[in-house]
Order: sequence, then C-alpha cells, then structure tokens
Amino acid sequence: MATTNLGFIVQRPPYKSENPKLALTHAIASQSVEVYLEDGDIVTCDIAFVGDGVLNCLKDQKAADIYGLTSTETQVKMALLLDINVLICKEDLDRFGLSEDDIVIDAEEFGADIETKVVPYAEIAAMMEESKHLLFF
Amino acid sequence: MADLKSQAPTQTLDVLGRVCPFPLVLTKKTIEKAEPGTLLKVLCDAPASAEDTIPKYCEKNNYPYELIKIEDKGYWEIYIKKS
Repeated sequence: MATTNLGFIVQRPPYKSENPKLALTHAIASQSVEVYLEDGDIVTCDIAFVGDGVLNCLKDQKAADIYGLTSTETQVKMALLLDINVLICKEDLDRFGLSEDDIVIDAEEFGADIETKVVPYAEIAAMMEESKHLLFF
Repeated sequence: MADLKSQAPTQTLDVLGRVCPFPLVLTKKTIEKAEPGTLLKVLCDAPASAEDTIPKYCEKNNYPYELIKIEDKGYWEIYIKKS
C-alpha cells in the first residue's frame, strides 16, 4: 500500500498556451487513476498557482466569448468539486494588485465542498517538499 | 451481480453530459458520504466511466453493482450498494 502525492505547479497565465489547462486536466484526471492501481495504493494531488499563474484563478473570465473556450475559472471550480487542494500564492496576488475578491474562492454553484486557499509562498514550498512528484506547467 | 435494479434507490446521482473522469469521481465522492446500506443510482452517458472505471471502482471496494444500458436513451443506469 502506498500513497503517491502529486504536486502541480502552474506558473503561466491562462490562454495563448495550453499549459495551465493541461495542469488542471491532469490534476483532475489523477483523481480517477486509483481504480487501475494495486489495492490500497492511492494518489493525492495539490495544485498551486504561482507567479503569472495566479491569473488563471480570476473571476468572471470571458474565455467562451473571446476564444470560444472553457475558462480556466471553470476548471479551477471543477478541481474544487473533486476535492483537489487548490493553493494560490498570496505574494503574487499582491504583486498584481489582486485580492481574494478578484479570484475564485468557492464553487458552491457546482456543489463543491471546499474552497481555494490563498497562502504565503512558504506554504506552497512546503507542499512541494512533501510531494513525491512535481509537475511544472 | 446482485439484483439491485428492482429495489428503490436511496439516492440518485445524475452525471449525464459529464465526461471522464467526472462521473467516477463524483460517484466516489457520493458513495463516500453515503450511509452504509445506501443504494445509489447513477445516470451516466460517458461510455468509459459507465463500462470501465465505475465498475472497477465498485469491484475494488467490494460494492455490489448492477449496470443497465438504456439503449434507446443512450445512457447507463448503474445501481451501487454501499455495503
């Protein structure tokens, strides 16, 4: 029996590249791989938004209107729906002049039980230390 | 497989229109929260989830289940008993 902790680190802004969406898609998909593992083996995952990556968590994105795409806002909410631990770097939000009012905090409309966490970078660094595998996007 | 279809479900989970892996993960989440003895009916139109991952999840956890394909509507009804 083993637990594999995956840490997804998103550093790029949304759109004009697939990276942030790939991170979210892979994090979400990681929640279903247990059915293919040995009995008792489990996978947990955390996803952290740092640097320009915090922009993926902005509220009221107009991706569908502008690009005809699902927004990263919706994908962050889907991650919350699936109980994925979503961390957002506080220092980087401050750097952009953003506050918690500007970003996705909950996904109550989808029935999610948990919220995103705005945390100092030190907490994200601690999560990275604890992760067995780190994936940078 | 157990004869679950003939019993009245305690709870229904509608994941129609959701693609893999959402049906599995939402089923897992619902089952984890449910009381033992709950009979969950899942409505699912994602083939990989209905025919592969949800049955595998039930087998791994020893939850009796019954899978019924509703041909004319193009979705599956999955009855899962939380033991």
